Amino acid sequence: MQWFDALVQGVLLGGMYAQYALGMALMFGVMKIVNVSHGDLVILLSLVGISLASSFGLGPFTVMVALVPLALALGWILQKAILNKVVGEDPLPSLIATFGLSLALQNLMLQIWSANSRSLPGGGIESRSIEIGGIYIGLLPVIVLVFAIGLTWGLDLMLKRTRFGRALRAAAADVEAAAMTGIDARKVYASATAIAVGILGFAAVFQSLRSTVAPADGGAQLIYAFEAVIIGGMGSIWGAFAGSMVLGITQAIGFRIDPGFGVLAGHLVFLLVLATRPQGLFGKV
Amino acid sequence: MTAFPRGSAPPRVQVHRQTSSGRIALVLFALAVIGLVAMPWWAKTGTIRMILELCCYIAVAQMWNMLAGYAGLVSVGQQAFMGAAGYALFVLAQTFGINPFLAIFLSLLAPAVLAVPCYLLLHRLDGPYFAIGTWVVAEVFRLAASNLGWLNAGAGMSLSVMKDYSAFERNVAMSLLCALMILVTIGGSYWFLRSRYGLALIAMRDNPVAAASQGVDVKRLRFMIYVAAAVGCGLVGSVYFMAQLRINPPSAFDPMWSNIAIFIVMVGGIASIEGVLIGALIYFIADRWFGEYGASYFVVLGLMTVLVALSARSGIWGMISKRWDAPWFPIRRHLTLTKETP
Repeated sequence: MQWFDALVQGVLLGGMYAQYALGMALMFGVMKIVNVSHGDLVILLSLVGISLASSFGLGPFTVMVALVPLALALGWILQKAILNKVVGEDPLPSLIATFGLSLALQNLMLQIWSANSRSLPGGGIESRSIEIGGIYIGLLPVIVLVFAIGLTWGLDLMLKRTRFGRALRAAAADVEAAAMTGIDARKVYASATAIAVGILGFAAVFQSLRSTVAPADGGAQLIYAFEAVIIGGMGSIWGAFAGSMVLGITQAIGFRIDPGFGVLAGHLVFLLVLATRPQGLFGKV
Repeated sequence: MTAFPRGSAPPRVQVHRQTSSGRIALVLFALAVIGLVAMPWWAKTGTIRMILELCCYIAVAQMWNMLAGYAGLVSVGQQAFMGAAGYALFVLAQTFGINPFLAIFLSLLAPAVLAVPCYLLLHRLDGPYFAIGTWVVAEVFRLAASNLGWLNAGAGMSLSVMKDYSAFERNVAMSLLCALMILVTIGGSYWFLRSRYGLALIAMRDNPVAAASQGVDVKRLRFMIYVAAAVGCGLVGSVYFMAQLRINPPSAFDPMWSNIAIFIVMVGGIASIEGVLIGALIYFIADRWFGEYGASYFVVLGLMTVLVALSARSGIWGMISKRWDAPWFPIRRHLTLTKETP
């Protein structure tokens, strides 16, 4: 029973990780860019959300309504101002640029919000739970998981069915060929980054409801998102979701074995997947 | 290519590599190394500590430069090997009672041995994913060190055996180790780049696929550089933590070293030894002057890194060498015609 409980908690934790991983899978799949400031953006949005909530007395879902458009705009600006200038065959410039951005963002947040941990008041939602067959399940983690499934489903559908999704996939496959059919790659990229960061708007609200956030936490979020994408298999949206589940479950079971072992267990499973199935669980060879 | 008429003797050519600017720089380099060795006789303990820090910046940055600038392996996790060697030194000297100055060299086995499985795993990730993968490895090292009882877990270790040596003896050792660090990383890289491996490396830097088609064993060369850089960073880690006398997981595997190395190399100028020296000096001076501003100082460093990546990818040395062709560490080969024989 104890292990079944760990499994359930792991799936719920995976829901949180999926919200970080989706944006990363989208950006890498389309532009081959790894945004090193991915985690710092989550923290930035969280801190902005917390400040909004405390100064205007907003509830968590009102904050979300304000934060997601802000995140979309942030992503758009990020692509237009920085990433469009460094995207290309050589991965070094984009890596260095986002690395520098991460360093600047982290310290800027430290300057504005200090190093203290903060969280978003949820009005009681964060402590409510349901009992099913002897296992207590938090209401908030279930909402997080439902949102994660919804976002994954929506993103996958958008890539497969819409005109914009087709343009995105075409630009990802071959920029020049896509350009010949009238697709403006830079516009497509800007929208892709806007969506990737927009999803982080949801993640930011849930992260700051579930636990606390501090300016230095971004690195860990980046690593979890990255591990989920690699475990699941690059270039697959549902793969990133599955990878998040694997990571969440591993960490939850690891924490049960020893509190110091949880995060390490996640890293070890990542290395194990890398050693035995480098294309990821759902990746194509 | 067929500028010479058939039948005539092939022209006599000579390969020149050294330039007059290079000769001057080499003399200055030798003087600097001698100056480092002689530090106990001209510098106070505080000054030696400061110069040791500068030497650590130069050495780590040069190792990152070899990885990212030449081998195309962008790592943000070299602190893994610094911490591993640092811990190895503390275990050998403190737990097993081996002479610490012997232990420093033995401790280099740790990064060398650990780098092999790390590379075998990480080389499966390409480009940007390799970089984050190296970070995960550094995190694994940090978490492992925090959980291992014989490394005293999260509390860390002290190097109290250093009390057996007088302050002067320690200063002599630190000065010799500074000189060694610079000789091995800067001198070693220069020697390597001038050797036939260097030729292969430069070909690889320009285009790995074309280099492979010319018979360069790209995979083997990358592996060699990765292990060598791990050992180089390990040496810095051992020396740095010997001077600190204390080690614990967050300081041993501090990602700040990657930030510093990337800043130094990118701002100074990637794929050049001169750039590393310029960048390290800028970082060192900026750290002395603006370090007290803490967070806002790092905001500026971060923004400068972004700006360099956006608009000046070859850094300061790139701008200088465009204007004046006077390399300090010339590695280009010049072909000159000598007088034709009758």
